[in-house]
Amino acid sequence: MQRLYVGATVAFWLFVAAFWSSTYWRPEVPLPAVAVRERQVSPVELARHATPEDCWMAIRGSVYDVSPYLPEHPSRPELVLPWCGREASQAYATKNKGRAHSERADELLAQYRIGSLVAD
Amino acid sequence: MNLIRRLSIPLLVVACTAVPVWWAFPDGLSLARSLGIVLGWAGCGLLLASLFLMLRETWLAPWLGGLERMYHWHHRIGVAAYLLLLAHPLALAADAWMDSPQLAWQILFPAPQLWPIWLGWLALFLLMLGLAATFAQRLAYRSWRRLHFVLGIGVLCGLLHLFLLGIDGPVLPLLALCVLLLGWRLLGEDSARTARPYLVRAAVHVTDDVLEIALSPLARPIAASAGQFVLVAFFSGAGFRGCGEFHPFTVSAVDADGDLRIAVKALGDCTRRMQLIAPGVPARVHGPFGSFLADRPVARQLWLAGGIGITPFLALLRSSRLVQPTTLLYLYRSTADAAFVDELQALAAADPKLALYTLATGDEAPNLELLLAEAGALVTGQECYFCGPPGMLAAARRTLLKRGTSPRQIHFESFGFR
Repeated sequence: MQRLYVGATVAFWLFVAAFWSSTYWRPEVPLPAVAVRERQVSPVELARHATPEDCWMAIRGSVYDVSPYLPEHPSRPELVLPWCGREASQAYATKNKGRAHSERADELLAQYRIGSLVAD
Repeated sequence: MNLIRRLSIPLLVVACTAVPVWWAFPDGLSLARSLGIVLGWAGCGLLLASLFLMLRETWLAPWLGGLERMYHWHHRIGVAAYLLLLAHPLALAADAWMDSPQLAWQILFPAPQLWPIWLGWLALFLLMLGLAATFAQRLAYRSWRRLHFVLGIGVLCGLLHLFLLGIDGPVLPLLALCVLLLGWRLLGEDSARTARPYLVRAAVHVTDDVLEIALSPLARPIAASAGQFVLVAFFSGAGFRGCGEFHPFTVSAVDADGDLRIAVKALGDCTRRMQLIAPGVPARVHGPFGSFLADRPVARQLWLAGGIGITPFLALLRSSRLVQPTTLLYLYRSTADAAFVDELQALAAADPKLALYTLATGDEAPNLELLLAEAGALVTGQECYFCGPPGMLAAARRTLLKRGTSPRQIHFESFGFR
């Protein structure tokens, strides 16, 4: 058991080191852009996309189609799904016990931008 | 061991692991991300099973095959959980690595404000540290025990990591259960609240470093029988400063008035201090545990004792006359270490069914095959009971298996509690 522990711990740190070193030797692959064209989205149109399979959210003036990402979101679905088809800036800024989403989440969100929110 | 007791721990492990994995089983995610999620939840389930197996309850231990078996599994399951939890972040990072190595690195080491993730790292570090201490056999018992509790803090940090990620559905009951199990062990069992109060009635040195202590109950006595062991902690009183830690001791006698006797060999700091114990010292006793020497068949018996491992056999000989023809081979390092030899010789003289062989082996490992042959104990069909150092037990087992004894006829008492 002791050998297993030592072997697994060493292998773990070697993997971590490999992930770190790969940020240098493997060039960054441009992420495929999900947003294909800019469009003007009204609150009425936004509200039509309020299901888990077709979930749009308006955050800080932009509209995002987050349907493909929802299965990967770490929170429970019931925390996120009520914001489909709605203006969700406040919820995005205070996701969990009042904390904002991370920069990493912002970068991820940008991939799902499909347009801007406009007044009716 | 019957089938239910044999299967109880594997069933517990499967249940503790399968339920959270089933609840969280991902649907429609990539293979690496799904694997990361499943590994995390399976690791949590194994940790819960491992916590359950650290309880020292006399009603629970027989159902799970005894305290020694529980601790054996506790250790193995804990290591298995650690392995799965090490792989958990690596699988999640591997999933992102396909898209971008930078993204994979951010998943492993995110921005400082993402402290639910950092709490997961803290949990992993604590498990790493606690397990390293578990393997450090040379560490003083008290330090070892404190570092072992780091593992419990690691488990709680891991569950908080999940809770703060917003996955509170199954995590809250899991967290409550883990707090309950840790609290029960820490506040109930380790702080002696659930142990029975006893008082040292007498303490007699049987060799220079072995003391036999007689304990009188201050409340309802423990119903121990010969071959069982108890966990005893001695506290300060009557001019003695006890270390207050529970240590396992095989009962060396169960007296008719409810008194228990245990033999304490000076092996560590605490047991060395116990050599100075005097009548009137308060003690707490958990138990009894174990079923060594219970339900012995009527077949011829071979008992092999090494050093202080003589105590379960002594307790049985003190409690009743033998029914089965029995050969007792008692090995010790030197005549100065020969605890209870005079009493054993008197018992053998009074009981025609007992053949006693005693030998000082010196510092070298004895030739067990030769010794067993000289004692006429290399025969098949006998039931073999061993209690002593692990090296001696393993050698005796090898010798007897080679000579045709069935593994089912070999019974151990080894006290590997660390």
